[in-house]
Amino acid sequence: MMHLIDELKVIPGVVGACIFDTRDGLKVTNLPVIFKPERLNVVGKHLAKLYSAGRMSFNDLVDITLNYDESVIITRELEKNTLIFAVCDPSFNHNLLSMSFNLLQEEFNSSGFAVAEPEPLGEVQSPVAEMNALEPPAEMKRSIGSDLKPLLDEMKADLAKILGPMAEFVFDEAVEEWSGNGADFTRIDLLVEQLEQEIGDEKKATEYKQLIAPTLKNF
Amino acid sequence: MATAKDFVARISHVDGVAGCLLIKNDGVLLGQTLKDPEVYSTLMLIGGGQANDIMNKIGFSYCRHLSFSRLNNRHFYVFPIDNYFLGVVQRSDCYVPDMLEAVYRLIGRVSTTRADASVLTNDFS
Repeated sequence: MMHLIDELKVIPGVVGACIFDTRDGLKVTNLPVIFKPERLNVVGKHLAKLYSAGRMSFNDLVDITLNYDESVIITRELEKNTLIFAVCDPSFNHNLLSMSFNLLQEEFNSSGFAVAEPEPLGEVQSPVAEMNALEPPAEMKRSIGSDLKPLLDEMKADLAKILGPMAEFVFDEAVEEWSGNGADFTRIDLLVEQLEQEIGDEKKATEYKQLIAPTLKNF
Repeated sequence: MATAKDFVARISHVDGVAGCLLIKNDGVLLGQTLKDPEVYSTLMLIGGGQANDIMNKIGFSYCRHLSFSRLNNRHFYVFPIDNYFLGVVQRSDCYVPDMLEAVYRLIGRVSTTRADASVLTNDFS
């Protein structure tokens, strides 16, 4: 993945870049050491929230650019939960970087970074690894079935009426946590409880429950 | 000092500006020329807050503006001005550096901090 962002660094004015995953944190960076990984992680989280808010307002959002006195930060979503952001001098060429982001995004998607990489064949596994192989992977336990997805989409849309642009971010986090113990309709009340807590306002929480009641009833 | 409505009216007449709105940092809408100010005002508050947090974390000194670039080229800009946020939607056919320079010139007249156009020559075009 490093070679993808190394190509950005040759663009005049680009100080360096990072690829950030909202679940796993910083994946790779070629920024100077002055940008400490823990700070970049925090910046990545802020940018993810900002991007999520931006996407709620504009469904054709491409990039977000933050212009500071000293530097410019430009970010784009490579795939769901994965952002790239570059730190640049104020004199950078925005169009050139934007075009490079387009190429990088194509390479990212075509080179298989966007999906889980398969285990290499022919490797001898340890007995523990063999036992683990019999267990369903965590991703499988958490996967949301296609039957449940329309329901969750409607619940998310209703949450947006209550929380506005932050709803997508809040909802996705709550679903991720909830689905860790099984994404099953029989446990949907737990997700609703979790969302009530996230809303943090009794009146709004009641309003939300009223909004989703018909959807849950008809499911 | 211009009133908020005068200021919004002047910004909206800048060549390349499709519409604008001015809010206080508590979310109160002071003036607007856009149809759906709620869509923009929430994003301005969230965006301004996140940009400020990033600035403090990295150690930058001043956020000039943030911009949301869109496929339809009607990019949206947020300018922090003291305790206010100015939001500007650009026309899709505008020449952005000139538009930003004109907006910054007007902001410079009302801001008690500062705003200048010296580094605005490399934005979207």
